[in-house]
Amino acid sequence: MDASVLFLIGTLALWVGGYQVLRGSFLALRAFLIEPDFARQAVLNKSALAAGSGAGLMLLSLIIPKDLGRKVEATQWIPLVWIYTPIAGWMILISAFMVVAKLIQWRTALTPSEATEKLKQIGVWAVIGFLGFVWLQHMKWEIQILRGALPFNPTGLIAFVALALATVWLMVMADRFVRSRGAATKLATHAVLLVGCFIFGVPFAWMLSTSFKEERDIANADGLVWVPKVQFTHPFDDPERPYVEAIYDGRPVRALVDSDLGDGRLLLDIERPFALRGRRFEAREQDTKKLLRDQFVWETELNGKPVVAFTVRDQEDGSRLLRVLNEVPLTGAVQAEAGQEFTRKPEEVEPHRRTGLRWENYTDAMEWMPLEANYGLRYLQNTLTLVIMSVIGTVISCALVAYGFSRLRFPGRNQLFSVMLATMMLPGAVTMLPSFLIFRQLGWIDTLLPLWVPAFFAGAFNVFLLRQFFSTIPMELEEAARIDGCSYWRTFWQVMLPQVKPALAAISIWTFMGAWNNFMGPLIYISSPENMPLAYALQLFSGDRGGDAQLMMAFATMTVMPVVLLFFFAQRYFIEGVQLSGLGGR
Amino acid sequence: MKRYVGLVVAALVAWSGGVYAQTVNDSASAKPRTVLTIWGVSVGPDDKGLDDVVREFERRNPDIKVRMAKMGAGEMNPQKLMTAIVGNVAPDIVRQDRFTLSDWASRNAFVDLNPFIARDRDTDPLTPTPEQYYDSVWQEASFAGGLYGIPIAADNRVLYWNHVLFERKANELRAAGLDPTRPPRTWSETLAYSKVLTELRPDGSLKRAGFIPNWGNSWLYLYSFQNNGRFMTPDRRTCVMTEKENEEALQFMVDGYKILGGMENAEKFQAGFRGGENHPFANGQVAMVITGDWEIASFARYSPNARFKTAPAPVPDDRFFKRGRFANEKDTFITWAGGFAFSIPRGARHKEEAWRFIKWISSKESRLLQASSQAKLDRSRGRRFIPRVDAHIATNEAYLELYAKGASQYEEALRTHIGMMPFAQVRPQTFAAQVLWDEHVRAIEQASRGKATPADALKEAQTRVQNVLNQELEKEKYPVVDLRGPVAVAVGATLLGLIGWVAWMLKNGTGRVNSSETRAGYLFISPWIIGFTVFTLGPMVASVLFAFMQYDVLNEARYVGLRNFQDIFQKDGQILLKAFWNVAYLATLGIPLGLVTGLAIALLLNTNVKGIAFYRTAFYLPSITPAVATVFLWMWILNPDPVRGLFNSVWAVTLSQWFAINPPGWFTVEAWSKPTLIFMGLWGAGGGMILWLAGLKGISSTLYEAASIDGASPVKQFFGITLPQLSPLIFFNVVMGCIGVLQTFDSVYIMTGGNNRGPNDSLAMPVTHLFDNGFRYFRMGYASAFAWVIFAIILIITFIQFKVAPRWVHYEVDKK
Repeated sequence: MDASVLFLIGTLALWVGGYQVLRGSFLALRAFLIEPDFARQAVLNKSALAAGSGAGLMLLSLIIPKDLGRKVEATQWIPLVWIYTPIAGWMILISAFMVVAKLIQWRTALTPSEATEKLKQIGVWAVIGFLGFVWLQHMKWEIQILRGALPFNPTGLIAFVALALATVWLMVMADRFVRSRGAATKLATHAVLLVGCFIFGVPFAWMLSTSFKEERDIANADGLVWVPKVQFTHPFDDPERPYVEAIYDGRPVRALVDSDLGDGRLLLDIERPFALRGRRFEAREQDTKKLLRDQFVWETELNGKPVVAFTVRDQEDGSRLLRVLNEVPLTGAVQAEAGQEFTRKPEEVEPHRRTGLRWENYTDAMEWMPLEANYGLRYLQNTLTLVIMSVIGTVISCALVAYGFSRLRFPGRNQLFSVMLATMMLPGAVTMLPSFLIFRQLGWIDTLLPLWVPAFFAGAFNVFLLRQFFSTIPMELEEAARIDGCSYWRTFWQVMLPQVKPALAAISIWTFMGAWNNFMGPLIYISSPENMPLAYALQLFSGDRGGDAQLMMAFATMTVMPVVLLFFFAQRYFIEGVQLSGLGGR
Repeated sequence: MKRYVGLVVAALVAWSGGVYAQTVNDSASAKPRTVLTIWGVSVGPDDKGLDDVVREFERRNPDIKVRMAKMGAGEMNPQKLMTAIVGNVAPDIVRQDRFTLSDWASRNAFVDLNPFIARDRDTDPLTPTPEQYYDSVWQEASFAGGLYGIPIAADNRVLYWNHVLFERKANELRAAGLDPTRPPRTWSETLAYSKVLTELRPDGSLKRAGFIPNWGNSWLYLYSFQNNGRFMTPDRRTCVMTEKENEEALQFMVDGYKILGGMENAEKFQAGFRGGENHPFANGQVAMVITGDWEIASFARYSPNARFKTAPAPVPDDRFFKRGRFANEKDTFITWAGGFAFSIPRGARHKEEAWRFIKWISSKESRLLQASSQAKLDRSRGRRFIPRVDAHIATNEAYLELYAKGASQYEEALRTHIGMMPFAQVRPQTFAAQVLWDEHVRAIEQASRGKATPADALKEAQTRVQNVLNQELEKEKYPVVDLRGPVAVAVGATLLGLIGWVAWMLKNGTGRVNSSETRAGYLFISPWIIGFTVFTLGPMVASVLFAFMQYDVLNEARYVGLRNFQDIFQKDGQILLKAFWNVAYLATLGIPLGLVTGLAIALLLNTNVKGIAFYRTAFYLPSITPAVATVFLWMWILNPDPVRGLFNSVWAVTLSQWFAINPPGWFTVEAWSKPTLIFMGLWGAGGGMILWLAGLKGISSTLYEAASIDGASPVKQFFGITLPQLSPLIFFNVVMGCIGVLQTFDSVYIMTGGNNRGPNDSLAMPVTHLFDNGFRYFRMGYASAFAWVIFAIILIITFIQFKVAPRWVHYEVDKK
């Protein structure tokens, strides 16, 4: 028979067979877990039929020439994917599944005799599985995912469509044959949800993974790196270029000694923090403190033998002076050439690495931030100022105004309230420019004030939400307080405000988020690093270090983390907040 | 729980206070030195030279401390600088792209440096004077008799050609009558060489390009200058882009693209370009490129395998053979130069100190100090040092002496570049320089893509530039308005109105007015009243006034009547259509997709599955991630380079191999930039899920029970019960979504790195257009008028939605 026909039949058989085996297994599980005794046998029969036919079909798939998929050559192909494994593989899979199923049955058995029966069955399946294991071992684990293809031409297309239709039809038939009720749906739901979680979670995972990677792993032509690795370092003091700690401009810095200027004065070349890197200054020797420098450890070869060595220093001609380590890190293997020094070009050495997280990306990112930002703490502080003031302002002012609008009667109340509602329609764009001029007149440009002061003057949407809330509180409560002689202020503060706490929490959270994320405001108003909040600083950071994805992602993680933490602690309020603001419009 | 929250807040406040106190201490203990703020420069780990120059300055001027900041992605962000100048918090010095100087000068935003030069030229040998500089470069920094910056660097363009490739193709070149041992010298030769050297795959895609007219750095300017073209009349009042010299130059570019199978084909090819060792010129994917001197060091460091020779860029045939209108032309080869300048913005607090710094940094002494210390660092790292061409003649001569005597291709290239400096032309000095540049880029794209003939493309660009010119030139026509008057009247009227209204209310209000309650009521709502008046009503009135004015804050306002609206609808109609089309695209695709995603998740979660808390958190988290971080994260995931970007790396080993579809360029290409935005939005669709979940829970189960008894299938139940019951929520979300999309800003700003337009205007949004006009050009009047246009559109869309709503939104009447 023609190879491509075999291929078609085999693929079809594998797809349908796999589906049937899975379905048979579900049925068996269901029969034992859910069905009452009298119905169990019928379902079990169906299960056996499905699994049996499925297994048979899958066996049929073995007719496919094994490496057909990789031999085909053409420009355009329709892909077909299947798993190739000898029967041994299926033996292990099926027996593993059966063992689990029987275990459950054993635990849920009604009578002791039934339990022993199940135990025996477990034994049998385990033996089958073990045999499969030995067999597969013998075959050197020949499990492959093969990529086959159909030529992309009318014949190929028709074949593919026919194949797909036939599969669907067969599956539908099989479905009718053995209809399942609840368990499968639930499993399917969970499967879909888990896939969804995976898709939604991958970006976070990638962000974290990137933020812990070494720079050399950021781009990789042989497939991207998910698991970060770090290079070993070796603390070392190079007598020719001492590494010292000193004070520069009131800040502690670590620097290399460039040269000795005589009379106890040294010319220092700053290494860290990065924001000062490359600056040189003079310091008195007594003001400096010697440090060991963490030098990188490399793998290379010496006299034809692989060795592990660390950098002693980078040399003027671009090569590296290396010294063989006494022991290989982690394994502790002793090296015969220990202590030998030799020179290698950068391309002749490979980093000696282990799997691990490069936390230094976070400190590096902080060191790269401008000096005025004080390692980014200043950004955080600005953001916190912004957030705290906005939340306080919004809560106080909105509560006051909402109370006034909902519970107090005064002339013009309704008209004013409609005016307020109307302002909700007004886009921020309209007032953006004149507001800038107002703040300019006040001399508030390049301060945080324009970003939080308006919060003290009640935003329409929040007032509207709170007013709805106030309106649901029974009048009697307020009247009772009034009769007891409470002033308006006390009624508001002691009686009414506690009643709307959930709404206040929701509003606080939204204000918090809004202030934390505010980007356009700082973009317009802030121009000095010492006044920048985090979100805007991140954008500026990308201008300086945007090429270093690991630093960018470390900074981004630092911006995201506080919000995520807050979410975990105040999840309830977040969710109530969404429901309130969304359903409020209903 | 409550106690902890209090404690945490208290601790945070205390810490904030602590940091403040610490900062105060720092500044108190420091010596009283003048802090000189410089924008547009920063020192990276690879720039030793600049830092040493600055330190040397500080050593010579112990009273000054220099503070450098880059401010903005890439080059000086014009918006930031303009806002700082207008907001009276300007830096002391800016490093500014030289060709934009006239723009700033015309707005009165920079200080004229001529008086400083006149004062110091006889006393201070460091003083820069015109004789020390190339004439054209100096001219570029001048505007209307003033000098607005001291030139610092000068990049010019020459032809780099891969002589190894030429040799390999020698037979084919000879067969075409071309000499494989020399580069093309004329335009027609360039095309002929390109034709031979270009290789196409069977499917028409490029395997190698001989010459890509606008890849590298030539633009239309170079070809026009070579053709004796000009963009402005000498009186700077008229834009003359349509002159036939420019048209011929643009035609040359179009012809160059034709050889490559059109600009789209070339762009597809360019999308696969990589840097470093795989630089397309270094690995022979491109045979000839016209580019600037910055490439020398880059080739030396990152693409040591690049083999090239340099020559002056080819010129029009007539020019080379001295025929026709070039018969009396003296110079055969021509190039164009750009570069930077140090300027002092208006409002700088330390002008004298700034001038001292500029004198130092532009001097030959400091340039050579920078070069030697940079060279030392580079050599210690095993790199070759190539200085950048300078604007200062003596400095360049010293560079030739010190760094370009060898025979290497790099030194030869530097010699070619410096040798061309005397023949360098510069872009015209006009206050519309940025617009001229932007429009000329647009014209190249239009013509090369075949969307317009060169003549039409240039005409369109010329019209737009002329508009901007006219606006400024016709300024005198419009009467100056003293803003204090209208402001006083507006404030007075508002106050009077308020008082009158309150009085009227008190008098004619409902009978049972309780005066103490009234007083309390007004007190309670007073925060809103004040806020409304100051932050909403006042700005609204101001915005209405501005809409009829031309006002840039730095200069007096002028009354222009309806001209702002005319500009919006007539002159900028194209860009606006594009912006609103982009919004419509995002809305019609993004909002439904977002709704469906959120609803689908909610439906799944509503089936009483176990572990709902976990799933809810997982789906919800992305929506609370700060927007800036989200955009950067997605830009990283969608990085077009398959060896970096997560998405495209998966694509490259799956879809590319199976279907031979290349991964898209996402936010870097026109077709995919908006889908990228939608994609990012979908990630946050989990926020809506919570809402849907609440809505679903609110649907009475009796409805479903009744339906199942009647035998309705789950699908029928969904369309018959669930959807109608949710329709008010859907409606609310659609309305809010539309308003939100119309105000898209943050993501676009970040994704485009602040250029706010995206590839071929594909990300231009109404609010970004407004922001650019408002805070980049400070066209307060135009921007205010435009804000009202946006408002009107929001109103119309919302109105339509409310009109259509009764047909599909189902309200439970008896519920309320």
